Order: sequence, then structure tokens, then C-alpha cells
Amino acid sequence: MSDAKMSSGLSRRMFMTASVSAAAVMPLANSPTRAAQPESAKPAEPRDLSAVSIRVNKQAYNLALDNRTSLLDALRDHVGLTGTKKGCDHGQCGACTVLIDGKRVLSCLSFAVMNQGREITTVEGLASTDGELHPVQQAFIDHDAFQCGYCTPGQIMSAIGCINEGHAGSEDDIREYMSGNLCRCAAYPNIVAAIVQARDETRRA
Amino acid sequence: MNQAAPAPRENQGDPVVRIDARLKVTGQAGYPADIVTANVAYGALATSSIARGKVSELHTKDARAVPGVLDIVTYGDMDKADTPKFGNTGASSIGPLHDKTVFHDGQIIALVVAETFEAAEEAAMLIRADYENERPSASFDSKGVKMEPAAGKSPMFKEDAKAGDFDAAWADATVKIDEKYSTPTQHHNPIELFSTTAIWQGDQLTIHEPSQNVTGWKVELARQLKLDPANVRIVSPYIGGAFGSKGPMTARTAIVAVAARRIGRPVRCVVNRMQAFGTQIYRAETRHRIRMGAGKDGRITAFGHEGWEVTSRPDPYVVGGTSATARMYNYGSVLTHVSLVHADRNTPGYMRSPPETPYVYALENAMDEMAVALGMDPVEFRRINEPEKEPIGGKPFSSRSLIKCYDQASDAFGWSKRDPRVGSMREGDWLVGMGCATAIYPTAAAPCAARVRFTADGEVRVQCGSHEIGTGVRTVAGQMAAERLGVGMDKVSVEMGDSALPPAPVSGGSISTASVCSAVMKACDAIREKLFAAAAGRGAPLAGSGNAKLDLKDEKVVTETGKSAKLADVFKAMQVGALEEYAEFAPKGSSPEALSKLYAGQPEFHGGEGDKDSVKYAFGAEFVEVRINSYTREIRVPRIVGAFAAGRIMNTRTARSQLMGGMIWGIGQALHEATEIDQRHARYVNRDLQDYLVPVNADIKEVDVILVPETDHQVNPAGVKGLGELGNVGTAAAVASAVYHATGKRIRDLPIRIDDLIG
Repeated sequence: MSDAKMSSGLSRRMFMTASVSAAAVMPLANSPTRAAQPESAKPAEPRDLSAVSIRVNKQAYNLALDNRTSLLDALRDHVGLTGTKKGCDHGQCGACTVLIDGKRVLSCLSFAVMNQGREITTVEGLASTDGELHPVQQAFIDHDAFQCGYCTPGQIMSAIGCINEGHAGSEDDIREYMSGNLCRCAAYPNIVAAIVQARDETRRA
Repeated sequence: MNQAAPAPRENQGDPVVRIDARLKVTGQAGYPADIVTANVAYGALATSSIARGKVSELHTKDARAVPGVLDIVTYGDMDKADTPKFGNTGASSIGPLHDKTVFHDGQIIALVVAETFEAAEEAAMLIRADYENERPSASFDSKGVKMEPAAGKSPMFKEDAKAGDFDAAWADATVKIDEKYSTPTQHHNPIELFSTTAIWQGDQLTIHEPSQNVTGWKVELARQLKLDPANVRIVSPYIGGAFGSKGPMTARTAIVAVAARRIGRPVRCVVNRMQAFGTQIYRAETRHRIRMGAGKDGRITAFGHEGWEVTSRPDPYVVGGTSATARMYNYGSVLTHVSLVHADRNTPGYMRSPPETPYVYALENAMDEMAVALGMDPVEFRRINEPEKEPIGGKPFSSRSLIKCYDQASDAFGWSKRDPRVGSMREGDWLVGMGCATAIYPTAAAPCAARVRFTADGEVRVQCGSHEIGTGVRTVAGQMAAERLGVGMDKVSVEMGDSALPPAPVSGGSISTASVCSAVMKACDAIREKLFAAAAGRGAPLAGSGNAKLDLKDEKVVTETGKSAKLADVFKAMQVGALEEYAEFAPKGSSPEALSKLYAGQPEFHGGEGDKDSVKYAFGAEFVEVRINSYTREIRVPRIVGAFAAGRIMNTRTARSQLMGGMIWGIGQALHEATEIDQRHARYVNRDLQDYLVPVNADIKEVDVILVPETDHQVNPAGVKGLGELGNVGTAAAVASAVYHATGKRIRDLPIRIDDLIG
């Protein structure tokens, strides 16, 4: 599987399926030739570093990453953007939500190496350079849509995705399509109100 | 104005926007694991796979062979440090690496430190232990648990409350309820993971870790590591949810500090969600037996409340919520008893309204059962039993607005439209049920220090070592300063969450707003005094207005008669550029050493039922509507209304949000939350956010919070009662009562799930 194919919009789920079937087939198909290959050509160890180029908030980053590094850890520990949060590392809480090519994605469930050439947007990339907040950010302030603030970057990125997808039509839709983002302080009613406001402003714009 | 910003009523402050709101929506708020640390190494924990026994051998060879592994801290490596202490500052007396004894499943057996997070995780998974395995006792009914009376085992729970002759009153009662209730194990699961980052600079140790008690931790960590507390600093400016879980320091903090010293590099250990279940504290499961006797007129004559709580083998953690339930209503007689059950479990700890959540759940469920038995409206039943004085010590309440709360909440809810007959209300396929319950939480305060600096240009800097766990305390402390010093919030900055700041008590027990605001007020008032004396002095801008009442407004010193002097001119007259005041607040009744104990990380709590003059509580009333699908038994909560009276409300926005969050917690406790325990292995099973259910957005619809005006000058100088924990007390009982009303099924064991309602 080439890099080009990898970056052509495969979901995590598809990637997993593809890997599993490849793993099941590979030993049979490859075993005769593999034995003959020199030591240096053996498949990459999971610990090997890969050169990874990702674009985050319109800026390019060239990183040398462990193949196992999640996009979340790459953002936090290697790019130095810690606005994106780790709450579970298992795709269960939504705190790590970022936009990849405009779609919301759980960055803890995406390997950094899968994101070559993609445009990643994090919470740090939302406000304009003159400091004006994104309508969703402003709506979260207006409606007190957070308390501790930890899940907030993920909620905001997810809210933008939710509105862009057209899933913010009704309050019930918003509740449903925002249920992948846990808020333990339980600001849910305020989050819904904030998204309604931002949706209406975005539509007007 | 929108719903999030309720218009202030009497004795309520403006719904000022959170002072850190912009930082939080732009990703700039720096939580402890976000702090950029040069040359940091990554830590990962290895934990025990048995709950009781001994580690006979630890195999670390494979782990050490992982490329990038720098060190493994394990048995023997902590010998130079003292073992942790159990108490308000320390989560447990178990020093996991001091001793090969295993007290619970998931106990730390090693910390791996590596160049990368991935290498640390890989190596930690390769650590293997051989055990001398003993059969563990998991919980209440397990063989081998040890039961003992709780009274006197903890300084927080000295005795079982009693009043009158319960036995005689119980024997004579016309209508009786004798029922058992239970609440499950629960884990806080704040969305922020638990983490420790340790950085040494010579002998100076800095710890970045989410903490609700930076001063206490500084002292306790210094004790464990045998350092001068002056050389230890705990930094925790933003905390990603706490709910009690970040109150006591766990054994991990010292272990990570030792690792950082050994490798001569900073170490960051972010504990994964699964391991947090065994290495942090939690709310232990409880059981209750309630006996309630009443006359046909609805007056309660006998109230008996027995409670059982699980704790670890070595530590007597007790919540003892009978101290609140025994004072709730005008019972003729009271008999209570709390027992501790020691099992092979990690030590439990504070979780949002630790005593009241389980105990008031049992009481309020019983109140509803008694109302049903009496054929009486549950609100009316509570009205009839409203006390003049609390029944145990006969003390008055400093204020008690419970009936007002019931009146305002029931009006807003439309309680009068409820048909009391079980199963009588229906909408299509949905059975509708309505229930209500009382919320109560003790009002306490503790000593607190604060420093306030005021400059000629009107800039205010407030410094206080309290903790912004999402409550809004940073905002309300700023509001207090802005109000006393007559400036706008845009002129105020507030620093918190650092043990280098003036000490504040642990942010627990709903004491922060009262304690912090009282200290900030005192510092501001000292600044006011100085400014007023200068402004009215000879040759000063307001010379001669010495007798007039002065105030600070709009960056001016103003007189009652409308004269004013610009702040800058008053500072000029004083020939100073800044005024700075350091104030120490101690609540009424504090011991002479209360303030020095604050610096030692041992704040005294005053209030609740402990004061001589009166008992101090905040109250609320919650009304819930449930809908239960008549075919699938799916349970929904379309709306909940709560009215709360908690003295002065500093900020209606942050107060409403906290109470709303609390009520949603209550819904979670009623319908979702439970940590399942494998009884054979004494092991938590559902150790992640997929299987440990918490309310999600789609679980919650209308939540209506009513802030009932109340003024109470007795509680503390700020007149503030805490409310962070009030909101989730009673909610689960209101839900259980609503479920009964809809279905006729009385569910006494939480959480209430679909399978409880089938058949």
C-alpha cells in the first residue's frame, strides 16, 4: 500500500480492515521471496522512525516520528500544539477532535503517518490573526458552554464539524451528533445553545 | 442575556463571563500536562494483576531491552522516601513500591521511563510479575471482609448521631417504612487524565499535576521526599475536571519525582484511563437500611439510618452521611449507625458530595415511600416535617430556605398537574413519571490567604493558591476584587493554582468561594482603608470629607455627597505606585493555630453541623420528569428543575452552570454510572469511558436552575454558601421516585437500568 493510497481519504476503520486482511495474506504470498531478502530489507519495526510531513493550521511540519505515534501525540508532543486534549486515547471521549481536510476526526485514533499531506486544523487555528474568535468559540463563551474547559477544544472542533455536515438542524440533532464528545462538567444544555447560535450566525454569513 | 446568564435577583452578583473563557476556547489554557518541558522523558505505569498477595518476583529484562528505555523505578527504589500517609492530603497509606504486598488490583508495581511515550508504554506492557496470590475479598458480601463501626475512625466522622428514644417511637409508629438501599462504586472520570510532571533544578522540585490542594501536596510531598517544603512547588493553574479526584495526592507523585531525580531529566507520566481506576480514588459502594415511622398526620416520629461503606484494608475512609440525613427533617427521634467494611480494594476518596450523594439518596427515596404509604403528596409531606431547629443538637439553622425552594421549583415544574396515581400519566408509548427530592449540603469555610495589588492605573492583581477546577472561583475572586476596588473586570487578573502563592485550603467541600472571597475581601478592604485615609487626609483630593462614607467606584474614590477623586490622584497624593495587601482569613470559631495550620497544609474546616451557634447548610429542591417506553423500558429524562438557596450568589452564570452540572451528575448517578467489580478477582471491569457510562449530550434535555434569593450573615464574611456539590444531592432519589410514579416499581439499588423495569 503506497503512501499516496494511504492519504487518499481512507478512514481508520477501512485502514484497520485493510491491514488485517493484508496481514492474513502476506505470510503466504511473501514467504518464499522474503527468506531470500537481505537483512536490511526486512519490514519496518514498529519502533522505527518515519519522516512525516503534516500541515497543521496552514503551516508545514516535517517530523521524525515513531510509526506508532498518534496524530494526537504528534500534535501535542512534537508540534507543540497542546490545545488538542487527551482524555482517553481510545476514541471514547472526543477531547482530541480535530478537523482533517474539514472533517472532524478523533486524532487519538489516527496515526500521524496516515496524515501525510493532509490539512489539519486544531483549536489553535480557529481565531483569526487579528484575534477575532470563530463564531463557535464566541458562542461557547456567550453560553458558558464549559466549566473546566478541558473537553472544550474537542467540543468546539466537533461543533464546527457538526454544523458543516448539516447535522445541526435541530436541537435534537445537535444532541445526537455531539454525543461523541463527553463533558464531565456536564455543560450539555449550554453547548447545544452555543451551537444553535453559531449555526445561525454561520448561515447568515 | 441568555439562559446561561440569569438576571441576578436579590443578593446575587452579575453573570460575569469567566475570566479565563477566552483562554479556554482558544486552547491556550495550560493544563499541567500541556506545559512545554524541555528534554522531558515519558513515564508509564505497570500495575498489579492481582488484588491480594505479594509480588515474589518482578521481571523487567524484556522491558529494559526496549529501545529508548531509560530507567525502571520499582521495589527498593523508593526506600529513601517515606511512605505516603492517609488523610485529607494523602489518598492512601499504601506505598506501592515500598512494600511488595499487594493491597488491591491495579496497584503500581513499577514506573518505566523512556525517551518516548510509545517506548514507555511498550516497555510497561512487557513487565511481568510472579505473585503469591491470595483470594481477595471484593466487596460487602465477600468472604474475608472486616467490618467495624465507623465512628471515631476518621476525624471527619466522630460519632453516630442520635436523638430521643428511637426504639420506643418506632414501636409506637402507626405507619412504618423499613427498607434497604444501595449505591454502586463510581469513578470521577474527569476528562483530563491524571498526570505528573516532575522537574528538578538542583534541590528544587517543581511538580506540574492537576491538584485541588497545592499547599497540602507541597507539604506532604516534601515529607515523603525528606525535602524542605520551601524547595517543593506544585503548579496546577488549570484543572480539567476534578470532582474530588484531584484532592488527595496519590503515591505516583513521589515515584515520578524520584524517577526524574534518578535520570537527571524531567519526567512526565500521564496515567492512562484504565490504570486511573486503580491508582486514583473513587466513590465506594454503600448500603443503607432506613426505618421511618410516622403518624397518620404525616409527622415523622422515628428515623433510623444505618449505613455501610466499603474501604481498603489499611485505610478507614468514611463519609458518614448520616450527620446530614439526621438533621434534615423534624424527626421525633433519631438513631444512626455507620459501619466500615474493609476489602481488598484501593482506598476510596472524596467524590462530589461524598457523604450526601449516597446517604441522602437513601433518605429521600424513603421519604417518597413514606409519602406513598401515607397517601400524601411528597412535597406536602416534607412541608409537614420542616424543622424549626435541627433535631440532634437542637441548634437553629443559620438559614434554611428549603420550602421556598420547593415552592419555586414546583411552580416552574408544574407539579400541580401531576396525577399522583401510579402509572396514570402517559403520552403515546411513553409512561410519564414525576418525582422530587431535597438537596442539602453543609456550608463550611476554611482559613485562606490572598494577596491583592492595586496600582494607580486601576489594575488589580489577585493572588491566591486556590484552584480553578471549573467552578469559576478564579472569576468570582476577581469579581469580589473588582467590586471592592471599584474597577471593571477587564482590569483584574487572578493567579491561582500554584503553591508559591498565598495558601488556600483544598478545593473540596464546597468551601472555595466562601473562603477565597472572604480572604480577597479582607485584602481589598485593607487597601480601601489606606486609600480612603489618604483621599480624605489634609491637602488630599477629598480633604475634609473624613466623616463621610467613602467608596470606590469607576476608578474613583467617591463620597456619599457625590464628590470624587481620581484613583491616580489619590495614589499621587500618597506618593506610591501600588498598594499591596496580604490578608489572612479564618472563619469564626477557628483555633488560634488555624492559620499556621493552613501553611502546613492542614486547613481546619468550620461550619456544617460543627459550629456552636447554628448549623449551616445550603438547600435545594429538585423535580424530575421521566419517560419510560412502555415496550422497551428505555428511560429518558426530558426535563429537570432545581431551585437552590445558597446565600450570596457571586455570579449567577457560574452558579447556574455548576448546579446544572450537578443535576446532570445526579441523572448519571440515577441511570448510568457504576463501576462493575469482578467479585472473584476484586477487579474493576469497565475501566474506560466506553463501558463506564456517564451522561452524554443526547441523555440531557431541559435543565432548569432557579437561584432562590437568600441572605445569611452568619456563614462567613462573604455571606456565601458553597454550591458545587449541592446540585447532585437528591437528584437520584427524585429520578427513582419518578420511575416509581411511572411504573409502580420502586428501585432501591442504583443505577436504575432498563433490566430493572422489565417484567
